[in-house]
Formats: sequence, structure tokens, C-alpha cells
Amino acid sequence: MDRVAVVGIGHSKFGRRTDVNVAELAFESIKKAVDDAGVNKKDIQNVIIGSAGGWYEESLPAVIVNEYAGLDGVGTMRVEAACASGSAAVKTAYNSILSGEAKIAMAVGIEKMTEVDTLTSIELIGRAGSYMWEFENFGMTFPAYYALYAVAHMNKFGTTEEDMSRVAVKAHHYGAMNPLAQFQKEITLEKAMGSQVVSWPLKLYDACPLTDGSASVILASEEVAKGLTDTPIWIKGVGYSSDSANLSRRSDFVGLQASVDAAKRAYAMAKVTPDMVDVATCHDCFTIAELMAYEDLGFCKKGEGAKMIREGQTELGGRIPVNLDGGLKAKGHPIGATGVSMAVEITKQLRNEAGSHQAPIKNGVGLVHNVGGTGHYAYVTILSRN
Amino acid sequence: MEQDQALHSRRSITLKFDIPISKTHEFWDALRQSRFVTTKCKKCGQVTFPPQADCPRCMSNEFEWADVGPDATLVTYTYVQVTPASFAENDPYIIAIGEFAGGLKVLAWLEGIPHEKAKVGMKLKVEERTSKEGNPFYVFVPA
Ligand SMILES: [Zn+2]
Repeated sequence: MDRVAVVGIGHSKFGRRTDVNVAELAFESIKKAVDDAGVNKKDIQNVIIGSAGGWYEESLPAVIVNEYAGLDGVGTMRVEAACASGSAAVKTAYNSILSGEAKIAMAVGIEKMTEVDTLTSIELIGRAGSYMWEFENFGMTFPAYYALYAVAHMNKFGTTEEDMSRVAVKAHHYGAMNPLAQFQKEITLEKAMGSQVVSWPLKLYDACPLTDGSASVILASEEVAKGLTDTPIWIKGVGYSSDSANLSRRSDFVGLQASVDAAKRAYAMAKVTPDMVDVATCHDCFTIAELMAYEDLGFCKKGEGAKMIREGQTELGGRIPVNLDGGLKAKGHPIGATGVSMAVEITKQLRNEAGSHQAPIKNGVGLVHNVGGTGHYAYVTILSRN
Repeated sequence: MEQDQALHSRRSITLKFDIPISKTHEFWDALRQSRFVTTKCKKCGQVTFPPQADCPRCMSNEFEWADVGPDATLVTYTYVQVTPASFAENDPYIIAIGEFAGGLKVLAWLEGIPHEKAKVGMKLKVEERTSKEGNPFYVFVPA
């Protein structure tokens, strides 16, 4: 099988970006990725746009974005896997190269979430479960979905509200080092614990913000990649799975089965084990999600996620540093851009270009974990120097 | 970078869906008569909630209605204090997942109890309610 590498990365400033429209925002990361890869944009054959959409004015973002960037006549589509749309875009671009269809392809993740008011945004995300059975009569929200998991996890494993707040403190600590992050301020445990309850037991500081942002990666076939760069970062494993839209059909509420299955597939394909991962991004849309991810990805045993955060095992210098870019919590979570942003961060780490938040790279292996919805979709992508 | 210059669009739309329920309207009809039922596949015996006319296990479209509940056990819950735009008129609410004998689970509001008193493992009953628009729905209450 041919190999596929990341040869170019680009990332916009994340935040409340009232200064740009969707195409202008996408352009920021596309231009950086093209420059970083050193490719002629005419040589990019496929452009896959990851975007959930619905909260900005354009209905067909792929063509809007491509046209603005002068990417004429490319093969293109918008892909949607909720908050994992970015990883789905990377996978689709990857497949287009593996199939021999393209030598160079690009995945662009983009979301503009702040053009509608906050409560409308909460409504649009809340409707993203099973509308008829969870929203129409009961007004589910995304914090509520993850709160159902948090309560079950607390009840079964003794995870505490303080453990969850620790995840937020860690996220803000690293977010403060990332100039592209939405929040660049450290917070204290007391501040996180004392923040407004959104959906008990989850508080404001347990939740990622609404974010505008874009990220892009350019992928190339082995032959092309070796001609472009001395530091290609290879995509070694792509695992994915899905689970029920109706939460009531899940067997339990202490982990995401889709993450477990996606991780198993990715590890098997990449021929690596969890202990070989030097650095990871985990899908921390809510703090409980990061703790469950440690468990679902095999970084620790089931029920020991809280122990990992208490012992600092996922900090810089710990066993597996997680979300050194600030994570969704502090960097921000522009739904469709997140998976691509994670691939950008892990590529930077594996290139040793992460500066102040650089993880020590021993095995050359990095992991991207990206969840769509409440484990409706899950993608795990394993990147490697070798 | 972040100058607040936006063109406030003059066009707005209202999204209001007419959701087809012809294949499973008996669920809502039964609810109006205080019965909580769901679909059971005649071919393989699969009981499914939410009800669906086509079996997700064997793909048969022959089904019957089976009584569920009313007794359930609270599996997990949350107290929603920040509610979505279209629930702006509602007070904060508890959302619970209850499990019936046989393992079938249902998500609904938990009413009739202050949120501090909700507890995993507590006994619940499912009850019918009618919205102010006249639509039937269901909630849990403490048993
Ligand atoms: Zn059947």
C-alpha cells in the first residue's frame, strides 16, 4: 500500500472572529498550508471541506471557500461528521490519495459559529442528537448530553467535579502558550469550580466555547511527499466508528464505544500500542469527555481517567501529554475545523515545531482523537515520523 | 483584528417541521390513554425504543405493540440550567435516563422532585403529559 504524508499545515486564529466571513477565515489556514507545503496550488487535485454548517449564511461552503482561494476545478465536497467533520475530511483526502486518484489533496476544516446568537447556537447543537426523541419535548443541550455521562462516571468510579475542573485548568495552562487559542489565560481550580452551572454537574469551565476558526492540512503520496519535504509526517492509522443517535440506546454512560472501536482499528492499522504514543489530542468538548478519552483510548484502565489527571500524567513531562495546544476547552472548538486543527497540532509536535509546549518525542508517534456528537461518530488518526 | 463590523442580514427564516408519524402513531395514541408502549418485532422478538416500524435487527416490517413500564430505575440524569432558545420560556429541568425491566431505556424529563433529591438508582414511573399545544409527551416521576 502506498503511504500518505502530511506535507503542509495551516491554522487560523481561533475565537470570536467577527472580522471575517467564512471564505476569508478558511483562506487564512489554506494560504498558510500552501506556503508550508511549498506546493503550487494548481497541483492540489482534491479539496475536502469539513464543516457541520447551519450557523453561518452560506449553504454550500465548499464551493464558496474554493472559489475565494482560486482553487478552480478541483474535486470537492463538504463532509459532515458533526464535531468530527474535520477528521472525516482528512480521511476523505487521505483516501483520495490512497486510491491513486490524487497525488496531492487538501482537507480544510471551517466553522463560523458566532454569526447567530448564543442561545440559537445552543439550540442548533442541542438538536444534533435524535431530534424527535430528545429535543422536541425535552430540550436536550450538548452540555446535558455530556452531563449524563459525567453523572454516571462519578457514580460508578468516584470521579469528582474537582477532577473535571482539573482538566479545564490544564487546558487553560497550555492555551495560554498558544497564540492562536481563543483563551490565553490561566485559570485556578477555584475559578473553574465556582463557575456558573450550565447543566449539573457541568459548569461553564467544563465546556468548550463557541468558536470561529479554520485549519488546513495538505496531504501527498509518498513519492511527492519525499520531493517536497525532509519531515513528512505519515498517516499510519485511521480508525473510525459510530454509535446510536438516541442516547437511550447506549449500553452505558461511562465511556464512548465508538471511541474504543475507532482506537482499536487505528492502533491495529498503525501497528502501535497506546504506550507508544508520545503526544495526543483528545476530544475535550467537555472536561468529562477528556477523562473518558484517556480510558477509551487505552491510556489507562477504565475508571482511572481521573487518576491520570490528578497525577499529572497527561501534562508536559507526564506519561502521555494531552492537548498541549489548549484543547477544545481553551483553544476553542469550531466544530468542523477541530479535527484538522488536531492534525495540525500533532504534525507540529512530531516535527518538533511546537515551541514552548513541545512534547518530548521518543517513538515518533502522535494520536488525534476526534468525536462527533456524543460519540455518534469517532475518528482516531495516528501520525508518525517513520 | 476583531473589529465588530457586521452586515446585519435583513432576511430571516423560521424552521418548523411537520414530522411524519403515520407508521408509529399508535405510540402517541396509546400515550393519550396513559399507556406507554413500543414496537416488538413479530419475526425476531426485538423490542425497540424509540418505536420503529422496521426492525433494526432483522429488517422485518411486521411488528406488534408491547407494553413498557411504568416502573423504571434512574440510570443517569442532569439538571439543565442553560436552556436552548426555543425553551426560553421553560424553568430549568431535570433530564433523566430511566431503565425498564428487560433493559429498555428511555430519556425524558424527571418531574415532581427538586434536583438535589435526584439519585442514581432511584425508582421512577413514566407518566403521560400534554403540551400546551395539545401534543402528548411523557415524563418520569418518582415512584
Ligand atoms: Zn426483527
